[in-house]
Amino acid sequence: MNETPDTRPLDSAVVPPRPGEARQTGREASVGGHGAASERAARLLKPSGRRGTSGTTPESRAATADQRPAVTPVFHCKDVSVFYGAKQALRGISLDVAPRQVLAMIGPSGCGKSTFLRCLNRMNDTIPSARTTGTITLDGQDIFAPELDVAQLRARIGMVFQKPNPFPKSIYDNVAYGPRIHGMARSRSQLDDIVCSSLTRAGLWNEVKDRLSSPGTGLSGGQQQRMCIARAIAVQPEVILMDEPCSALDPVATARVEDLIDELREQYAIVIVTHSMQQAARVSQRTAYFHLGDLIEIGDTDRVFTNPRHRLTEDYITGRFG
Amino acid sequence: MNRRAIRRAINVLALCLSGVATAIGLFFLGAILWTLLKNGLAGMSLKLFTEMTPPPGSAGGLLNAIYGSVVMTLIGILIGGPIGMLAGTYLAEYGRTARISTVIRFVNDVLLSAPSIIIGLFVYELLVVRMGHFSAIAGAVALAIIAMPVTVRTTEDMLNLVPQGMKDASTAMGAYTWRTVTSVIYPAARSGIVTGLLLAVARISGETAPLLFTALNNQFWSSDLGAPMANLPVVIFQFALSPYPNWQQLAWSGALLITVSILILSIAARLAVSSFTQGRR
Repeated sequence: MNETPDTRPLDSAVVPPRPGEARQTGREASVGGHGAASERAARLLKPSGRRGTSGTTPESRAATADQRPAVTPVFHCKDVSVFYGAKQALRGISLDVAPRQVLAMIGPSGCGKSTFLRCLNRMNDTIPSARTTGTITLDGQDIFAPELDVAQLRARIGMVFQKPNPFPKSIYDNVAYGPRIHGMARSRSQLDDIVCSSLTRAGLWNEVKDRLSSPGTGLSGGQQQRMCIARAIAVQPEVILMDEPCSALDPVATARVEDLIDELREQYAIVIVTHSMQQAARVSQRTAYFHLGDLIEIGDTDRVFTNPRHRLTEDYITGRFG
Repeated sequence: MNRRAIRRAINVLALCLSGVATAIGLFFLGAILWTLLKNGLAGMSLKLFTEMTPPPGSAGGLLNAIYGSVVMTLIGILIGGPIGMLAGTYLAEYGRTARISTVIRFVNDVLLSAPSIIIGLFVYELLVVRMGHFSAIAGAVALAIIAMPVTVRTTEDMLNLVPQGMKDASTAMGAYTWRTVTSVIYPAARSGIVTGLLLAVARISGETAPLLFTALNNQFWSSDLGAPMANLPVVIFQFALSPYPNWQQLAWSGALLITVSILILSIAARLAVSSFTQGRR
């Protein structure tokens, strides 16, 4: 897939609309309301399910912006390298993360996929020997800009880790943690609403609604991981990063989390690191293959798995790899 | 003799040697406790806790000394505890890999094993000489200086036991380090930190030398922090060296009292630690 960034300036109309509101934005109204042209454009673009199918007429371009905000990448990464001391862990990675899509990153252990994931919310800053070069922008904003507050940046990016890592607090306090530290709720009832809706979206509400005040560490592994997802989406991030979110879970819990990823995709861009190629094939729309710190190949998941362009990718997905 | 027999013999020999060494260590511990119990129990009575230290030859108790010990230990831990906790937090969370942290850790270890009489002399120069007289507050400061390195060390160790994943989760939520420390790390390490503070209390409640140079002693009831104050260790020291039988008896009882208190504190600390480490698993 073509990775050239869309350099159109950000304006309110291109900001990803919530699902269901997409066709009611002002931008579309200005180019013909619910007229035939935009309907045609919508029909044209909907089944394609992929970005980059913009037409040539102004109507369809406008509709594209509204219908498929994918043309504006959430993350735009260019020439990203990471060094741990003298060792180079990533070599000049350039890729885009599109909204409302799952990007899977696969590759053998030590290939740098987790390192790359941790670049996106600058978690590598917490490792003193790590040094990052290159540029990464989130919604057009340089995440390495000196004036940028890294805590504010991380608040816009949810992260789910390999091992469920609940805080030693109640289920409620776990989910309310982010909204509390960022002052998102004005009242207790508002906070209650956030906790309820986050747990509901994470598919955990019915299981825990009667014991919100019991410790989060008392849940099963799969429930803990879904609670961590609820915690991550409670601050309404723009992107969710997942670092092998299912590797500590049993197949049933894994299936639940994968269903959840599929649902969350309607609202968020998701970047997932996984060791399971089946999982990458199941949940993602695009797949990136990393090998020894290089990005070997990136493209539509179907294409990468059925028709890999690179020999290394083919070897890896066919299991011929050492 | 074949190889296997030699190995077995060496094993048995090592077992015997370490067994004997353990027995010797335990024997002296048992002997100390036995002597304390034998001599101290005789003087255990309500009077011990209700009356002041007596002049030679007449009856009395240790009330003023017990009070003084409790007050100075409390003030000592109230000063030394928070400083030690914050310094331990710096070492574990803020300056984990900073070069200065290595220096701080080394200096802290030196302070941890510094003879307490040196610390007594230091506070003597610092406070007693300037104030012109011995005082309870000087004693508390000396105890605080002894409690500090213990707290630094235990706090750092306990914070390091908190799983990195938990800290990462908070950082990734967009929390500043201090927020992570107070909302996530301290609650997770709470019982460990409390244990460290208890151990520090146990350590300073038996210190004699630093108090000898700072709080000295007081035959009478005094709650004035600016004046000399009685305390168990120094009372034991003075009374045990005296030729008067009633003073010697009080010294034994005081020694038993202090040992039992420290024992209880240590056991409480151990129990807290084991519940803490089990919670981690």
